[in-house]
Amino acid sequence: MMLQIKNLEVEVENKKIINSLNLSVGKGEFHVIMGPNGSGKSTLALTLMGHPNYKITNGKIEFDGKVINDIPVDERARMGMFLAFQHPEDVEGVKIIDYLRLLLEKVKGIEPAKALQIIPSKAKEVWFSADMLSRYINVGFSGGERKRFEILQALLIKPKLLILDEPDSGVDIDSLSLISHKIRELYEQGTSILLITHYGRILEHIDPKIVRVHIMKDGHIVMSGKEELVEKIEKEGFKKVFEECGCNE
Amino acid sequence: MRRLKRKDSRKYLRSVVAMSELTVQDARSIIEEQIETLKKRNKEPEWMTKLRYKAMDAFFEAPHNDPIIKDPLDYIAKAEEEMYPEVKSLDELPPEMLALLDRLGIADVEKKYIAGLAVQSDTSIVLNDFLKEWRKKGLIVESMEDAVRNHPIVKDLFLKQFNPYESKLAAYHTAVWNGGIFLHVAQGLKVPMPLHLFFLIQNSAMAQAPHIIIHAEPNSEIHLIEGCTSPVLVRHSLHLDMTEAYIGDGANVKLSVLQNWPEYVHTRPMTRARIGKNAEFINTTVGLGTGKSNIANPKYWVDEGGYVELNGIILGQKDFYVDLGGEMNLDALGARGLNASKSVIMDKSSVITRGLIRANAPKTKGHISCDALILNPEARMETYPGLISQVDDAELSHEAAIGKIREEELFYLMSRGLKEEEATQLIVKGFVNPLLKDIPVEFVVEIRKIIEMAVSGGM
Ligand SMILES: Nc1ncnc2c1ncn2[C@@H]1O[C@H](COP(=O)(O)OP(=O)(O)OP(=O)(O)O)[C@@H](O)[C@H]1O
Ligand SMILES: [Mg+2]
Repeated sequence: MMLQIKNLEVEVENKKIINSLNLSVGKGEFHVIMGPNGSGKSTLALTLMGHPNYKITNGKIEFDGKVINDIPVDERARMGMFLAFQHPEDVEGVKIIDYLRLLLEKVKGIEPAKALQIIPSKAKEVWFSADMLSRYINVGFSGGERKRFEILQALLIKPKLLILDEPDSGVDIDSLSLISHKIRELYEQGTSILLITHYGRILEHIDPKIVRVHIMKDGHIVMSGKEELVEKIEKEGFKKVFEECGCNE
Repeated sequence: MRRLKRKDSRKYLRSVVAMSELTVQDARSIIEEQIETLKKRNKEPEWMTKLRYKAMDAFFEAPHNDPIIKDPLDYIAKAEEEMYPEVKSLDELPPEMLALLDRLGIADVEKKYIAGLAVQSDTSIVLNDFLKEWRKKGLIVESMEDAVRNHPIVKDLFLKQFNPYESKLAAYHTAVWNGGIFLHVAQGLKVPMPLHLFFLIQNSAMAQAPHIIIHAEPNSEIHLIEGCTSPVLVRHSLHLDMTEAYIGDGANVKLSVLQNWPEYVHTRPMTRARIGKNAEFINTTVGLGTGKSNIANPKYWVDEGGYVELNGIILGQKDFYVDLGGEMNLDALGARGLNASKSVIMDKSSVITRGLIRANAPKTKGHISCDALILNPEARMETYPGLISQVDDAELSHEAAIGKIREEELFYLMSRGLKEEEATQLIVKGFVNPLLKDIPVEFVVEIRKIIEMAVSGGM
C-alpha cells in the first residue's frame, strides 16, 4: 500500500475533528474525497503531511509500509508525499526562481544550472512567465495563480503520492481544465492521487473508471463508491444523500 | 582564474598590548607620541598637526557616553615603531586578503567585471588600471595621508562636519586618524562602474582610525563600495572610522559599506553627509559581522529637493550589541529622507534601531521603517523611531514590524522537502533581500553565504 490510514483520530486545540477514519490508497490509484464544509477534509490532509497543530490521539498512518505518525513534515516530503494546499502561504521576500532552484537541488539532487533550464519550461506549461518567476512566493497571487503554482511544484517534484486540497477552488474555467490535465499527467507518470474537492468538474480529464470516491462527514468516511457518487452529490446535495443512507444517525 | 602569489602572513601580524588603568598623563604622552609619529611618517602640513593636538586637548574634556566602552583610556594602545614593507601591487597583498578577493571572484582584477578596485594599505593606496585611466577624467582616489599633502581643498573639507569636542571618540579619532581615502569626483563626471575599496590595515599599532572624505562635485555620479570584509591584520579592539561626505548639487552618490568584523572588535563608525540641492545619497550598510559591539549614528543634512536613504542590514549574532541610529535633517523645501532597516537577530544578541527625521522645511517627506526577524527567544530588539516636524506641511511616517518566522510559512516550505535549516535560511535571505538592491551581485552571493552560515550556527 502506498498510503494506509487506520482508525485515525485527530485533535485540534483539544477538539476532536477526525475519528475512526480508515482509508487506503494503493500505488497507481486515484481517490477523491468529498464532504460538507467543516467535515475535516483539510484536517485530514494536513495531518497526513504532519502539521504540528494536528495531534494524532489514536490510530496510525502508514506510507510506503512505514508508520509515519512521528515523522516530521520535511522527511515525509522526501519520502514522496506532497500536499497541494487549500490555502497556500505567502513567503515574503523569497523569489520563486530561487526557491524552486533550491528545492530541485536539495530534494531532487538536480544541479542548479540544470534546474535553471527545467524550471522556466515547466513554468510555461502552467502559464507562468519569466516575470512571474522573479516574484515572491504567493505574494499578491490571484486564487488561480496560487493553485497553478502548487501544481507547478508538484510537476517539478513528481511525488509518489499527491494530495490535492481543493485545487479547483477559486480558479477560472480555463485554469480548471489545465489543472485537471496536469493532474492526469502526473497520474499517468505513476503518481497516486488523493483529491479533495467539492465539484466534479476537476475530474474533466480523468478517466471515470479509475476514480474511487469517499464521502466525509463529521470527521470520518461515511460512504465510498464510484464516480457516479460525485454526480449524485452534485445533483442532490449532501443533506439528501446523508438522509437516504441513514448517515445522520 | 589566475592565482595570485601567496606570501607568508606571519610578518603582517603583531601583537598590541591594550593598557588598562592608564593615567591621564600616560594617555597624553601616548597620544602625543602617536601624533608625532604620524606627523613625521606622513610629512604632514602644519594645519593637520595642529588639528591633531587640538583634538588631543578635546579628548580630555569632551563628554563620553557609550554603553559598552566605559573608559576609552582602556583602548589607547602604546605606539611601537616597526616598519613593514609597503604593498605596491595587488600581487603583494597578504594571503588572507587574496583569499577574500579570490572568493569574491575578483582576484583577476584587470579582466574581471569589477572595474574600479583600490586597496588601501596603511599609507598608500594601490589602484588598478581602470582607476589610473579615470584619474585623467577627474576621479581622484588617494590615500588620505597623500591627499592631505597634495590637495589644498582637503583642508576645507577635513573635519568640517564633526567637532572634536562633541565626544571623546570623535576627538581620539581626530588626534590619531591614520589611513582612509580621499575620493573626489569632478563636476559632471559620471563613473559607470562601482568603485571597490578594501581596507588593509597592516602596520599600525595605533587605533584603527581611517578617515574618509567623499567629495562629489555638482552633477557627478559614483558608487563606492567599502569592503570592511577584508581581514584585519592587527588585533585592535577598537575601530573608529570617520566618513565625511559632500554631495554637490544634482550629484548622485551611493556608498555601500559591508562590515564583517572579527568578534573581538568594537566598531564605532562615524558618518556624516551634506546633500546638496536635488542631490541623492544612498547609504547602505550591511553589518554581517558587526563585531562585539557596533554603535553608529550617521547624520545627514539635506538641501532643497535632495534625497537621502539609509539602508541598514544587521545580523545580530552571539552576544553582540548593535545600535544603529540615523539622523536626517530635511533642511529645505522638498527634501526627502528614508531610513529603512532590517535586522535578523539571533542567539543572545541585542539590536537597537533609532532613526530620527527632522522636517525643518515645507513639503519635506520622511519615512522610517524598521523590520526585525527574531530567531531566538533570548535575542533582544528595541526600536525608537523619532519624527520631529517644525512645519505644517511635512509628511513624516514610520512603521515597524518585529516578529518571528511564521510557523505556517516554515511548514509550507518544509512540506516540499526542505529541512528546517534550509527553509529558515531561505526565509532570512528573503527578509533582507529588498535592501540589497544596490549591492553588486558578487557581494550579494557572499552576503547570502554569510547569512546561511550564521543561521546554521544559530540553530
Ligand atoms: N487550527 C484549527 N483550530 C481550530 N479549529 C480548527 C482548526 N483547523 C480546523 N478546525 C476545525 O475543524 C473542523 C474541520 O475543518 P476542516 O478545515 O478540516 O474542514 P474542511 O472539510 O476542509 O472544510 P472546507 O470544505 O470548508 O474546506 C472545522 O470545524 C474547523 O473549524
Ligand atoms: Mg478544507
